[in-house]
Amino acid sequence: MRSRLLPLFVWIFGFLLLWEVGSWLLLNVAETPLAQSKLPYVHEVMGTLWQYKGTLFKEGGATFGSAGVGFLLGASAGIVLAILMSISKIVEKLTFPYAIASQMIPILGLAPIIYGIVRDDQISRIIISGYITFFPVSLNMLRGLRSVDLSALELMHSYAAKPWAVYWKLRLPAALPGLFSGLKIAAPLAVTGAILVELMGAQHGIGVIMLRNLYYGPSHTYMFWSTVIVGALLGIVSYWLMSLVERAVAPWQPEFRPKGGSR
Amino acid sequence: MSTILTEIPEIKLENIEMRYQTESADVLALHKVSLDIAKGEFVSLLGPSGCGKTTLLRLMADLIEPTGGNITVAGKSAREARLAQKYGIVFQSPVLYDWRKVKDNITLPLELMGTKKSVREDKALELLELVGLQGFADKYPWQLSGGMQQRVAIARALSMEPEILLMDEPFSALDEFTRERLNEELLSVWSKVQNTIVFVTHSIPESIFLSDRVFVLSPHPGRLSSVVDIPLPRPRTAEMRNSPQFFELIARIRDSFEGV
Repeated sequence: MRSRLLPLFVWIFGFLLLWEVGSWLLLNVAETPLAQSKLPYVHEVMGTLWQYKGTLFKEGGATFGSAGVGFLLGASAGIVLAILMSISKIVEKLTFPYAIASQMIPILGLAPIIYGIVRDDQISRIIISGYITFFPVSLNMLRGLRSVDLSALELMHSYAAKPWAVYWKLRLPAALPGLFSGLKIAAPLAVTGAILVELMGAQHGIGVIMLRNLYYGPSHTYMFWSTVIVGALLGIVSYWLMSLVERAVAPWQPEFRPKGGSR
Repeated sequence: MSTILTEIPEIKLENIEMRYQTESADVLALHKVSLDIAKGEFVSLLGPSGCGKTTLLRLMADLIEPTGGNITVAGKSAREARLAQKYGIVFQSPVLYDWRKVKDNITLPLELMGTKKSVREDKALELLELVGLQGFADKYPWQLSGGMQQRVAIARALSMEPEILLMDEPFSALDEFTRERLNEELLSVWSKVQNTIVFVTHSIPESIFLSDRVFVLSPHPGRLSSVVDIPLPRPRTAEMRNSPQFFELIARIRDSFEGV
């Protein structure tokens, strides 16, 4: 454990140190205009993060909450569609081209359209997050369902297993690695999507204070950077949460096996 | 042998023909194969690659259907036999489900039949002992060696007490030493279970050591070229592998191949 964490700490510390030095050089040696907006002092950003932790936590929570709801809805829809597509070629032919086409619509353009229709920033955030989540989850889940080994299916067949049993006991567990790679791709995207909607106008959310502090200009640089960091952290946390769930739900995957112990 | 052959055969193949349509040609994989297997008999389907021995096994298992001829299993069709869950199958690879512990892999067939959990647990322990894997119930498949995994696959095939055990080159991926040991273990398991076993192999000594009768198949097209009775007494022992009679049988079977 110690040998794994030590390089990480050295890496983080080195990175922050470089940042701090770079910031100092930009401000005092190069004397760049608006130097702090370009690369602010780490300690100042940290200080702001700490000072406004309450606000940042609250707004970040609002973003994370809506992104989470959208993510769950989008993921559920993606899973259901993947199962339907794996059962029926007709469903796949009917829906898959539209699923792909839907991903060609720029989110930046879609978000105001959705907002114009629902007129509620909360619901817009959920819809956009769900919309972003849906596709990678569905695609990866379908791939997982299709990846089942032929002999594993023949085994089920030889025991005269019912179709639902083949799904429940073979196809779905076999699809879990695919599902989770989809979920891990989608989770940070769902957060980004929610922030994007907030940038276009909302009551609450990290994107709202991000935009506000950007407008206020150089005097609010540290706060702006803090919101960016919080946004990034939300994405990281969402990914990390998915990895945690994966470990709990499908711990049997090769990547979780102890090294040297497998044959 | 003569006594059991007078009974109704457990598996009866009549004029089985199997054609595959490929892009370039019409392949005749099996040509007019007819054979009877008695209840409780241990037979091998022996032949080189391409002789259709695995195809023959898959036909018996109702995993594929013949393009000609008839298969009857205890007087019924192969399909009916499969739906009545008469078959246990062991493939060339263990085909264990990664997400199931060893004991849950073994009792998968029972689970599909709706057997109670407590009964399943007992059965799993009993079978693990039968195949010599006590203490591995709660391990995952990847924690076992290849030979152990194949033993789990055999235990799984035996869990629903199938009347017919179909084995498709189950030991071919293992090293010679492990294979010989598992041959002996298989016979000791079979002596307790006494079901019908159809064993596909390309190893002449393996087929002799295990079987009551060996069906020798030849390729292009796949056909039955001879049936060899193995009069070695049971229980078979490792020493029999070195007996003159054993070598004589090897020579006889080798001579019976056509067109290889």
